[in-house]
Amino acid sequence: MKILVIEDDKTTGPYIADGLREEGHSVDLLANGSEGLIQASVGNYDVLIVDRMLPGIDGINLVKTLRGAKNQTPVIFLTSLGGVDDRIEGLNAGGDDYLVKPFAFGELSARIAAIGRRPQMQDEPTVLRAADLEMNLLTRKVSRAGQTIDLLPREFALLEHLLRRKGRVQTRTMLMEAVWDIHFDPMTNVVDTHISRLRGKVDKPFDVELIETVRGSGYRIDAP
Amino acid sequence: MPAIHSTPLRLTAILLSIFVVAASITFTVAYVVVKSGFDNALLQEIDQTVASYRAIGDQTDLLERLSQDAAATSPEMRIIQYLPDSGPRIANVVGFPPLSGYATVPEKLIRHRDSIADSYLAKSARVGRGQLIVALTRERVIEIGEVFLMVLLVGLLPTIGIAGAAGYVVARRARVKLDRIQAALSDLAAGQMAARVAVDGNHDDLSMIGEAVNQMASAQEALLASMRQVSGDIAHDLKTPIQRVAVILDQIRRKTVLTDGQDALLDRALDETDRIVRTFQALLQLAQIEGGAVRDRLAPTDLRHVVEGVVDFLGPDADDRGFQLDLVTTEPGPFTVLGDAQLLGQVLANLIENALRHVPTGGRIRVGLSNDAGRVVLSVADNGPGVPPDERDNVLRRLYRLERSRTTDGNGLGLALVAAVCDLHGAELRLNDNAPGLVVRIAFPKSGE
Repeated sequence: MKILVIEDDKTTGPYIADGLREEGHSVDLLANGSEGLIQASVGNYDVLIVDRMLPGIDGINLVKTLRGAKNQTPVIFLTSLGGVDDRIEGLNAGGDDYLVKPFAFGELSARIAAIGRRPQMQDEPTVLRAADLEMNLLTRKVSRAGQTIDLLPREFALLEHLLRRKGRVQTRTMLMEAVWDIHFDPMTNVVDTHISRLRGKVDKPFDVELIETVRGSGYRIDAP
Repeated sequence: MPAIHSTPLRLTAILLSIFVVAASITFTVAYVVVKSGFDNALLQEIDQTVASYRAIGDQTDLLERLSQDAAATSPEMRIIQYLPDSGPRIANVVGFPPLSGYATVPEKLIRHRDSIADSYLAKSARVGRGQLIVALTRERVIEIGEVFLMVLLVGLLPTIGIAGAAGYVVARRARVKLDRIQAALSDLAAGQMAARVAVDGNHDDLSMIGEAVNQMASAQEALLASMRQVSGDIAHDLKTPIQRVAVILDQIRRKTVLTDGQDALLDRALDETDRIVRTFQALLQLAQIEGGAVRDRLAPTDLRHVVEGVVDFLGPDADDRGFQLDLVTTEPGPFTVLGDAQLLGQVLANLIENALRHVPTGGRIRVGLSNDAGRVVLSVADNGPGVPPDERDNVLRRLYRLERSRTTDGNGLGLALVAAVCDLHGAELRLNDNAPGLVVRIAFPKSGE
């Protein structure tokens, strides 16, 4: 993917750019809001990563201006603020996602993958599959290798979320936001408990583990 | 109606009474002077009358003149009584009390047949061969007193009326200004930093106080804004280096081959930076909520969805840690409150997390949702050690921790956030005894209040 990082911090900017390059992305790094706005308008990027506080034009106004010019490039905001209203303000300005510093690199790369390749709006599938796991969205039945698996509603939602984003890492925060609509810090790693319960039903009785733990990032189902 | 304790009205009353007292004294002095003048005139007239009788040397002429005068004189104006050493009494009244020298004699001491005056100034003197009493009516002196009293009343009453009315008007206008100042001050005290006193163009003392209050409020508002700015800047300035530390630690992990022991140390370092950031974040959030920044984001929210979501999210973890976490609702709902779903969810998560931390393993945590006389009530009850009554206010303060909790996890901000969010929602937060344990009860205001 072609990514533009607009970040003025001299440690964070290169760190993000280097990390993304290692993952195979093509990355441009700018430290100034005004320059960033021009580059973002002409550069035909797949994803923009924009810090909230920038010299020149601040991040919010940068994205508002872009959106005003009908530029719909997905934007991930980075912020040091992380206040109650900042997330809403960022999303209202036209941002697609919001990350509070400091973040684990895995969190950023998972979110880039999520917004850079939004699930295409094809025909809505009725059955989701991964290897021998099958989820019927109409009957809400789940089975693996022909055996029916009973899931609680929230377990179903969690599995569905992972299956719909096959091959892409979902961080704990992303899962918490998507499945439980929780946007605050619950101060515990409760998502791990939910995953372990889901694994108990989906993976444990079978030979192959479908739900992978991605170190430093989150979870992923990666099977054909 | 301005109350009697209003300063301008009280001042008016004090000034009026001073005026009344001063006027009364002046009039009394004037009356006494005028009265003594009249009395002197009477005395002279009496003396002259007595002298004119003395001038008649012959006793027979004297008696004859006295008889004529007594017959011709009305006792209402003048009383004449002559008691000769021998012979009949000459008088125009039936009886006059004996006296020596001058005296004021009231009507009731005089025996009379005709109508007489209320009071007389009398003199008794030796004339010829007998004792003469001449008494002149004091009617005019009394009348003068009445005239003075009348003038005093006629002069004073309108003054009192006009001054009182003026005082009332001034007091009312002052009251209006004072009310404005008072309202602005209580708004300011309630945290509405935009409140100001409406000031007119006058330069009286109250308008000037109003302007001073406004200046103070503006200064405070600016200070508050700059404090928010500063805390934002601090957030940025402190979090950026922390973030750099996290970045560097992550780079070490990604670019260096580490032994297991080094890897574990790195994990601990990352965990600690994470804790610092979370605590910082919580402080920042708390400051924002207490600043009321999110008040306009409140919307009708069904608390049931929020509560179910949080209990559902935290349930398995509580279960794994050996706790029983239940949701108990008395009715199907909906339990609609004016609120922010995320903040309310966080409040409940904090309360449950707090209980999980302080209740011994195996404990029971019961989340309750009910309607109490039209108010939605959210409660979290446990059967743990509870909080001593005298500590219940303290635990809501930021960074305060009970002595026995010093060693447990948590940053001491959880309950402070609960209190701040309750305050934001106008909800009443109570920590009660669950015998045993603690029950936290949050009563939301009736919708529409």
